[in-house]
Amino acid sequence: MQLFRIKGSAQGTTYSITYFSPKEKVRKVQIDSIFKRLDESLSIYKPGSLINRFNESENETAIDGHFYEVVRKALEISQKTDGAFDITVYPLVRAWGFGTVEMKDLPDSAQIKALLDCVGSGKLTLTKAKLSKANPCTKIDVNGIAQGYSVDVVANFLEANSILDYLVEVGGEIRVKGRKYPEKEQMAIGIETPSENEFERAGIQKVIVIGDRAVTTSGSYRKFREVATGRISHIIDPHTGFPAQTNIISATVVAKDALTADGYDNALLAMGLKKALTWLANRPDLQAYFIYKKPNGVVSDTATANFYPYIR
Amino acid sequence: MNDVTSRRQFIATGLTAAAGLGMLPAWASGRAASNPADKIRLGIIGTGSRGAGLATLIREMPDFDLVACCDVIPENLQKGLSLARKDAKGYTDYRKLLDDKSIDAVVIATPLYLHYPMAVAALQAGKHIYLEKSMTYDIPQAIDLVKKVKASGLIFQIGYQYRYYGLYHRVKEILNQNWLGKVTHFECQYNRNSNWRFPVKDPKMERAINWRMYREYCGGPLSELCAHEIDVVNYLLDSHPVKVVGLGGINYWKDGRDTYDNIRTVYDYPNGVKASVTSVLSNAYNGYSIRILGDKATAEILRDKALIYPETINNAKGVVDGVTGATIAVTTQGQGVELKFGKPGEESLEPTVYALQDFADCVRTKKQPISNVETGRDGSIAIHMGNAAVDTESVQYWKPEYSA
Repeated sequence: MQLFRIKGSAQGTTYSITYFSPKEKVRKVQIDSIFKRLDESLSIYKPGSLINRFNESENETAIDGHFYEVVRKALEISQKTDGAFDITVYPLVRAWGFGTVEMKDLPDSAQIKALLDCVGSGKLTLTKAKLSKANPCTKIDVNGIAQGYSVDVVANFLEANSILDYLVEVGGEIRVKGRKYPEKEQMAIGIETPSENEFERAGIQKVIVIGDRAVTTSGSYRKFREVATGRISHIIDPHTGFPAQTNIISATVVAKDALTADGYDNALLAMGLKKALTWLANRPDLQAYFIYKKPNGVVSDTATANFYPYIR
Repeated sequence: MNDVTSRRQFIATGLTAAAGLGMLPAWASGRAASNPADKIRLGIIGTGSRGAGLATLIREMPDFDLVACCDVIPENLQKGLSLARKDAKGYTDYRKLLDDKSIDAVVIATPLYLHYPMAVAALQAGKHIYLEKSMTYDIPQAIDLVKKVKASGLIFQIGYQYRYYGLYHRVKEILNQNWLGKVTHFECQYNRNSNWRFPVKDPKMERAINWRMYREYCGGPLSELCAHEIDVVNYLLDSHPVKVVGLGGINYWKDGRDTYDNIRTVYDYPNGVKASVTSVLSNAYNGYSIRILGDKATAEILRDKALIYPETINNAKGVVDGVTGATIAVTTQGQGVELKFGKPGEESLEPTVYALQDFADCVRTKKQPISNVETGRDGSIAIHMGNAAVDTESVQYWKPEYSA
């Protein structure tokens, strides 16, 4: 078994693929073409992408398979988390300056109230062929889930090329399968220690081994705006329209696939620790680890009971 | 009391007086001084390349009325007057300009050796002063000027405009927030690939025009180029150097000059922080740059932007096969990340405009500028120590009496 590594950038971040195989079976040019295809569907940064066409449309847009899968999952997660994760929050994300353009000022409450009329997954109707909206002002942003989906698409591509020992990572979201060679051990994954700013290289808080599963992390520590009163998080609460007041600094979720894990990590982060742990009690299929800030400001960590066996 | 004196008194005490009457003049709330009486009547002494450059900016500012220019070189004077108010007066003797009682403030942008006598004369004439960097030709002048400015009660600003530029404010902020970790070194360079000369039609004018080539008039690259960077390091560290070593020479432009065409100094600051300050006149790669070396990251300051290069932390390597975490923007991986400063969408002006705006505010509100006679003194002493270290090939120490 030989080690093959493919690194590159896509979706505004970096990706890295490690696989073990008797010979080279997948090359970088193939992986890049997959990302390019996904961007044409899901990227708000790409002019003319399906998602941009939907956002600019009055009522409906014809969609493709990638788009369908991601929105279907997003709607399911929104429904199961009582709207804690909601892709229709995009008009508010933009107003708070976390969209594709920077904003000079912060939105006022009247603006937020007006934009809340555009928000809510109930305003979307999805079929395999098209996505429709009740209100033209409804716009979506799947950035919170698309990386996880991309990880799955790439992982499936590797498996289709009979690669069964791999680790796929896109922007800190990971899916892993099989073992590494020559050790024949499972691959170990580090959970990053939250950093103080967007530049700082973070250390490793915990090392986990998760079997053939996916793990993703959502953090409020790397993307934020500095304003007069302090930092505001890029996670916007779809219910209030304001940045989520969460005590969670980072939420790490293990699930069977990266799409699932990536969808739920945002919702859990927005919920706050107490609500997140209560909610997780009924979801044995998800295992979660949290780094959070106690009321006295001390940073601590905790996990669901079913997460601990992963920690090495 | 004639119009002139009453208006000048208004400038001197304007804010308190106007506030006492329950009305604030236009400039107190914004920058639009529409009433001509609110404008500061300004004269420029020295309208060569820098002075004319300042006049070009001043002309667009509502704060000032450029009413007089002075230069001994006719072409320069003509250029200055072309940028001034139509009825502006032209002088070849700066003392006559200073005699004009209607002038509130002067900009002095002359060769370095003239800074001290002109500044002293301007203080005696009761003018507020914007003096181009660096402050004085030697150390005793720097120390003496501090005393004279303090005794005068007049506003005195040194033309280190980077102290007024949002980019440097932001860099100072991230240093205080420990983004770079423990900072141990600064690497400053102000290089250019040219002989640094201006054309001379009449050979008699060589020394007047190309004064930067002669130690009789200035300190060469250290006082005329690197001065900015020495001031920036002082500003970022809130300190001044304690000693300096250096080497330099005239090894490339062997054209009769006696100022160095290459000089490399190392300044030692408190706590062992070192700042290398270099000027090479035969290479222009990244001409102006300041690199700040911290144990967590490097900041590279260029003309109008700064880049952050995080140090790679290897504790993940070999231990794990992958890392899960909040998404890192692609640019932060191994290459420089541009440091954001100012508000999004905010127009970025020439740094000198911010410095001149603050000068106007200081004149009106009687507060001393951020780039003042004391920071100017520290810069000038550091420059002279650096040149002395190179001239004598010996370590130069900051003496206690320098900052007494």
